[in-house]
Amino acid sequence: MTQTGSPQDDTTFPDFLDDYFAECDEHLTGVRRLLLSLEGSVGRPEINRAVLDELFRHFHSLKGISGMVELRQAEDLAHRLEDFLRVLRQGGAILTAEGIDALFDGTQMLEQVISVRRSGGTFPKVRDVASRIAQLVDTGGGTSAARESAGNVEETAPPSTTPLWICTFSPSADLVARGIRVDTVRGRLTGAGEIVNAVPRVSADGSIAFDFQLSAHLDEATIAAWREDGIDVTRAPEETRPSIPGPADRDEGETTSTGAVSSSQFVRVDLARLDELMRNVGDLVIGRARLADTLSRVESRIPSGEWRAIQENAIVMDRQLRTLREGIMRVRLVPVGEIFRRMPFVVRDLARETGKRVRLELRGQTTEIDKFLIERMMDPILHLVRNAVSHGIETVEERIRAGKRPEGTIVLSAATAGDIVCLDISDDGRGIDPEAVIERARKVGLPIPAGATDSATLLSLLCAPGFSTRDESDRASGRGVGMSVVQSAVEELSGTLSLETEKGTGTRFVLELPVTLAITDALIAKAGPETFAVPQGAVREVIEVAVETLLQVEENEIMTYRGAALPIMRLSRLFGLPETTRSRLHLFVVGTGSSAMGIAVDRIVGQREVVVRAIADPLVRVAGISGATDLGDGHVVLILDPAVLARQMRERPDRMIGGARGALA
Amino acid sequence: MPRILIVDDSPTIRKMVRASLRPLDSFDFVEAANGLAAIEQLALGPVALMILDLNMPDMHGVDVLRFLRSHPSSRGVPVVVLTTRGDDSSREAAMTAGATQYLTKPFVPQALLSAAQDLLRSVSP
Repeated sequence: MTQTGSPQDDTTFPDFLDDYFAECDEHLTGVRRLLLSLEGSVGRPEINRAVLDELFRHFHSLKGISGMVELRQAEDLAHRLEDFLRVLRQGGAILTAEGIDALFDGTQMLEQVISVRRSGGTFPKVRDVASRIAQLVDTGGGTSAARESAGNVEETAPPSTTPLWICTFSPSADLVARGIRVDTVRGRLTGAGEIVNAVPRVSADGSIAFDFQLSAHLDEATIAAWREDGIDVTRAPEETRPSIPGPADRDEGETTSTGAVSSSQFVRVDLARLDELMRNVGDLVIGRARLADTLSRVESRIPSGEWRAIQENAIVMDRQLRTLREGIMRVRLVPVGEIFRRMPFVVRDLARETGKRVRLELRGQTTEIDKFLIERMMDPILHLVRNAVSHGIETVEERIRAGKRPEGTIVLSAATAGDIVCLDISDDGRGIDPEAVIERARKVGLPIPAGATDSATLLSLLCAPGFSTRDESDRASGRGVGMSVVQSAVEELSGTLSLETEKGTGTRFVLELPVTLAITDALIAKAGPETFAVPQGAVREVIEVAVETLLQVEENEIMTYRGAALPIMRLSRLFGLPETTRSRLHLFVVGTGSSAMGIAVDRIVGQREVVVRAIADPLVRVAGISGATDLGDGHVVLILDPAVLARQMRERPDRMIGGARGALA
Repeated sequence: MPRILIVDDSPTIRKMVRASLRPLDSFDFVEAANGLAAIEQLALGPVALMILDLNMPDMHGVDVLRFLRSHPSSRGVPVVVLTTRGDDSSREAAMTAGATQYLTKPFVPQALLSAAQDLLRSVSP
């Protein structure tokens, strides 16, 4: 969304920038993964050749495509990184700590350059890093003591007892029509074992065939199934076993990773197309609701037998519609590991900078979350992880003095519970000192709530704009301002942020987000003549109360709830609607701890799947209202965002009313 | 329709090549992301022109060229090698293996197009 210093689009291929960025993401993800695995080989005599080859190819591709979009800095960096890897590959050399640092730094710089091209801003100075890498290439630094058996870089195949097969595939138009191609065949073989070698050849009849040498345990059924699909399987004669072909006089880029998973099983889809599909389904959901509405109105005029038949059909459609929307929703989900994968980098760099020792533990990386949310959550998580390293974890000396292990631990985990994704960042550092926070808040002139400082109060102070517990230098690095950014990002996505901390023991931030945003289950409630929708995920409990049990305390109403005072917000008052005369009200209990509150409505009228339409008009957009929806009867109702309402109520109850009324008008 | 085969492991580059050759509208474009898939395309039908990257996973472009030239039905297919700027040895290896033209990335769309047009003209009767 940031559009500072808009990137210039005067390249030869301006229309391909999105493709470029998407492909860069893939390469950089690969690079990060490989670098982390390479880090284990520092100082060791054996570097995994396949890892080097793959890294080399990523940088080579990055160089190629960056050149095409005329991003010279990226092209240059990728080129130098590629050069360095070439030195590493050729010499059979040992990678030094200096060498791996250069690879990490170069990659990070490359990433920054690409990110600036994408989102605008000032390009970082690449010269220092680039010349550092160039120097390593020139002096052969970053590598040390070539092995005695240089030249023999190829890994020798481990003696294995796995049977070796020759799988021959002859492509044909018929097979292609059935979706069977050399890429799918390779994917299938890779799934069954390890492809040792793959070569094309010309058969006796002049046609083309592919021979795959496969090391695998195959059963009769598999072999038969493969034959059906044009893959002929025979046992390889014994002497073919060590038959890795002698490398021909090829140039630089040749790689031997025949076992790579075929990518042809995947399609890359533009997110906008999925959004479009989701919108279509949204329209269907609304259409369905309209149908239900009409049906209930005509019920009395249709013979009951026929009405029931129609009703049954409608119910079946309902179910299918739900399956369809869940299916589309699932397509949008990507593993949260996408965010996590960057974090070891960040932690590693920061730990090095600050001289701390930090171990990062990742859990639940396969947890899936909407692609849109992934993109939005990247920065907040980054902020929290950085905070954990620079503010949470103590220095080695401090930790030893406190009787802790010298190495601090940060745990980043993800889990799903129903429609909610829970991201959890915890550290075993020094914890947040409430007194220091209050002291600081007072200094910068923030209002300090009276009474005990519980974690919710602490969090709201930390998240207040302008709050920073560290000096200017830290703020310059973008860390001190982080928490308010984190909170607003989470709230924008209808999520909640919570904090647990104990001085000396550690800190834990929990982010709860809806798995997807477009369609959600909601409770439908009435306040005065108006109808509102409240997302079900945000509601902890629904209770019915008698009006007389509500106590008036100054301006506010509260009630006793589970032994504590629960502030009540009447929707009718918030929106300036006529007060109900009912003696009993329904309450949605939202939030936890001291941020819990009750939203009072006249009554709850139902539970529905609602399509969330964002309110685009900035004049109508109000914090606390996440969107609008059409319930099918032609009425547009507002969808409340309880988490934001609760926070606003706590912070500045007076300011809410005007805006909220505006939204209804 | 006669076919033009674009071989490159980068989807972005394949798209760019396709866009550059768009004026050749009497041809069908087919793509392959690796060497084996390129050879498969040759098995599936004649190819009028091939745009070939060198640096690809699992089968190098030079090996694709060698195979191509050893096979009677594809021996005469004109091949434009389109590879990321590198040292001269790759040019030599590619030309020895039978490349008809050698261009480097980043490429200028017009240069690729005219190279393609020339080659198509010289082989067609």
